[in-house]
Amino acid sequence: MDISLSIFISLAMFAVGIIGVLMKRNALVFFLSIEMMLNAANLLFVAFSREWGNQIGLVWVFFVLVVAAAEAAVGLAIIINLFRTKQVVDVDQYNLLRG
Amino acid sequence: MSTATNIAQWILGFLLILSSIGVILVRKPIHASLCFLLTLLLLAAIYIQLAAPFIAVMQVIVYAGAILVIFVFVIVLFQDAHQQIEEFRAKSSPILLWTAAVTFLASLGLLAWSLMSLPAAIQTLPAGYGTVETLGKALYIDFFFPFEAIILLFLVAIVGALYIGKKEI
Repeated sequence: MDISLSIFISLAMFAVGIIGVLMKRNALVFFLSIEMMLNAANLLFVAFSREWGNQIGLVWVFFVLVVAAAEAAVGLAIIINLFRTKQVVDVDQYNLLRG
Repeated sequence: MSTATNIAQWILGFLLILSSIGVILVRKPIHASLCFLLTLLLLAAIYIQLAAPFIAVMQVIVYAGAILVIFVFVIVLFQDAHQQIEEFRAKSSPILLWTAAVTFLASLGLLAWSLMSLPAAIQTLPAGYGTVETLGKALYIDFFFPFEAIILLFLVAIVGALYIGKKEI
């Protein structure tokens, strides 16, 4: 696969993830968009380590996977707790930290 | 590289971008997570194309098998809360949204056009690239301390998730 195609796919995925974070109001879809941005970064890691024949990038993909799993566990726990206090999953309604 | 595989890769990338756009376009969160599952599977196929089959398998196991299942659990848990979001309408104007969409697509097209001039990939890969053996050696010998650190991070994340998820903190 060409490096240019990989870069383009990765950038498009990252842009879609940013749009999701900025526009979606459902906290869970918001979180899915963050995961999508992590996946875009992973794709770049794999593409460039293929390009230069160096597998350090593949090792970093593991670390990104672990960070994504940890982030999903903690983030979903936070969302569950927020839902208990506010009874909504709309991120526009989460304003507990507004002074 | 033959033309047929090239076209297949372009179709794969097109489907991947389409399914990732589907994640933010569909209304129900369960459909969004199914679109994300499709994205992950297509991404695994791309990893196989990029000579990293072990990463592809890990991707399917960890993302589709673990993270997405937690997501679906939480979505099922909040079933009636998702309808409440529809009650508060969005305040953004449709003209601005369409302008943003057109700008986004135009900048993606410009990017694709400018990426065309990049040189082709090096075709000769070192022996054993991307296999479990060499990856394991790199992970457990060269990256031993970062690996231990990430184990610690994961432990802290598990304890933190349990603590936050308790009924009263």
